[in-house]
Amino acid sequence: MRISVYCYEPREPASGACPMKIRVYAASFCSFEDIDMDGYMVLPDGAVLEDLFKRLQVPWLFRRIVIATVNYKKVGLKTRLKDGDVVSFFSALGGG
Amino acid sequence: MKGYMGKILRVDLTTGDIQHEDIPDEVYENYLSGVGLGAYYLHKHIPAGADPMGPENILGILSGLLTNTGSLMTGRWMAVCKSPLTGGWGDANCGGTLSPVIKQCGVDGIFFSGISPKPVYLYMDSEGAELRDAAHVWGKDAVEAEEILQEECKTKKKPKVAVIGQAGENKSLISGIVNDAGRISARSGVGAVMGSKRLKAVVLQGSGKTEIADSEGMKAYSKEMATKIKNANLPKFFKGFLFPYLGLLMSKQKKVSAMDGMLAAMMFKKFGTIPVNTMGMTNGDCPVKNWGGSVVDFKKKKYKKLNPDNILARETRKYHCFSCVIGCGGICDIHDIKGGKYTHTHKPEYETCSSFGCLSLNDDLDAIFYINEMLNRAGMDTISAGNTVAFAIECFENGILTEADTGGIRLKWGDADAIIALLEKMINRDGIGDVLADGVKAAAQRIGKGAERFAVHVGGQEPGMHDPKLDPLLGIHFSDPTPGRHTIGGAVYYNAMYLWKEVSWAPEVTKHLKSEEYIPSDKEALKSIATSAYKTLTDGAGGCFFAMILGVDHWNLFQMLNLATGWDLSADAYMEIGKRIQTARQLFNTKHGVEPRDSIPSGRVKGDPALTGGALKGITLEIEEMVRLTWKNFGWNETTGVPEDKTINDLQLNGLIE
Repeated sequence: MRISVYCYEPREPASGACPMKIRVYAASFCSFEDIDMDGYMVLPDGAVLEDLFKRLQVPWLFRRIVIATVNYKKVGLKTRLKDGDVVSFFSALGGG
Repeated sequence: MKGYMGKILRVDLTTGDIQHEDIPDEVYENYLSGVGLGAYYLHKHIPAGADPMGPENILGILSGLLTNTGSLMTGRWMAVCKSPLTGGWGDANCGGTLSPVIKQCGVDGIFFSGISPKPVYLYMDSEGAELRDAAHVWGKDAVEAEEILQEECKTKKKPKVAVIGQAGENKSLISGIVNDAGRISARSGVGAVMGSKRLKAVVLQGSGKTEIADSEGMKAYSKEMATKIKNANLPKFFKGFLFPYLGLLMSKQKKVSAMDGMLAAMMFKKFGTIPVNTMGMTNGDCPVKNWGGSVVDFKKKKYKKLNPDNILARETRKYHCFSCVIGCGGICDIHDIKGGKYTHTHKPEYETCSSFGCLSLNDDLDAIFYINEMLNRAGMDTISAGNTVAFAIECFENGILTEADTGGIRLKWGDADAIIALLEKMINRDGIGDVLADGVKAAAQRIGKGAERFAVHVGGQEPGMHDPKLDPLLGIHFSDPTPGRHTIGGAVYYNAMYLWKEVSWAPEVTKHLKSEEYIPSDKEALKSIATSAYKTLTDGAGGCFFAMILGVDHWNLFQMLNLATGWDLSADAYMEIGKRIQTARQLFNTKHGVEPRDSIPSGRVKGDPALTGGALKGITLEIEEMVRLTWKNFGWNETTGVPEDKTINDLQLNGLIE
């Protein structure tokens, strides 16, 4: 059985210049080209949220108004990402 | 035997006989517990053609396989029976705190047959069970009766109670079973069946534990999940006024993609289900004016009064169901409404806000609070009651009903006082209320004069407050063996569940044109089958729909079932169980003469005629073809919906139908 035990706690930053794997739940206006089949994007060590936005081809204006969270917290565009972080774009999802 | 108790309680209300019955392990291995065990038991013991209101019908009240195991968001209980509303399979479920106590009393479920000669309630604890006289609570509303029974059966702690109100006692076919002072297992007419058996309540007082295979593993998994949900919060600036704009954005989206289900948790934590009150007005999710109108008929000036912030302003505390970490429930102060008849009520769900808001063009939020408490106490389904009221208003508008018929009530769109007066009559089966108390299908038959053209139902049951023209997959799920249910699935939920990561045959979703979801295809059919199979597993486990839509990244039912049972099954193997339960429910319908084709949404629900305004203007769904493809891919006859012999054989259901 293929069970993906989800690791929420961000892993320790990779040493040196190792690339980071970021779990990305992108919005439909994003480019999915750089997201792998398991939903991860590889970014260089030291990348910030805005770098990820660029790779997703989020238009410059959108970057400042879009609701996106890192590990489900609202953070600034210059927030440095860590290996294992989860970036989610807000899409309204409700029910009743 | 891990995760389940391995036995049930059987109560014959005619004779008063009460027996425990051992259930073989293989039944749980094939059907889980909850709705699965219910489907197995009812299939075996209710004869074809049984009167739903007669002694041969069986009412089951069941816990879930994962309930009380240390797993999270698995605290829902199920009511199952032959539905008097649809004539076929009936089920409904509810949260609160009742479900674990069923297992703490040593059983997975309680099954009632027969009809008691006088009103009774069942008292059960870890030592045993007995029927007690209920004359003193018969006639009381559900909240009053619960308080009285809790007090008189109290030991060290208050017992948990499932009880019917006046609507169930009066055998209204749209009545449910109530617990936790106003939460309701509302659909399928389960309350009417309980009322027909003169069973006022089930009072449970238990303390037993449920053994599981890997308690340390479950504890670790639950802790990890709880941490994630605890940390997931909407930004503070996120207020109710934003939802109409979000809805508008959604309606303009040409492309959709897979999304993070955890975002749903963030919404539910802060608001509960009520964001759809206004978001659904701009994206078209909310049915308006008895399913025939749109936001054009209920403009922003009106719908903004149902802004979730206005509801939260009355919320005095939030609460969680058993084992839940989201806590979408709340208690609202309403002591200043309508003369202070009620002091507080559960936070009204979106379904109630919509069925007594836009559906009847009512923008009086105070009246919605009042109706919420009135119907919770009476034990009447707000979805079905709201649809029925809207139906009656449209009949009145068209001269089919007159003041002479309604006992002087002038029914008109948006008249909250008239709506309340009509509901009081429905609860008490007084005059026109007796005509309407069994839902729109029965009412239209009684009224005649062409009233059926305004009766919106699916297979006899009034549909939930989500327009499938926004989400065609939801329309396919309306044709479920319990027709008209909205809490099964939809494309928006599928896109968040990531089932394709675990299930080999579940179609993967990345980014696609929204318009693709409107084209009948095998891919959409497989999405529907995957969702319905996973949902029946969820109902077999006692899981919450809102947990299910977090997705397998966050709430992995397969993993939790293995931790509880030790079965070590693959996701695909579990999905076979889900398909087995789903097929057993469909077979129950065909056994009892229900035509699956009658449960395909039609008329206004599918867009015939199409709406002339709003986000869903001009849309008519090709729903017959979508359902046909779903049946075909399921191995059910694509024309009739009857499960094929090969499917019955493959799913090892032969023993059940013999």
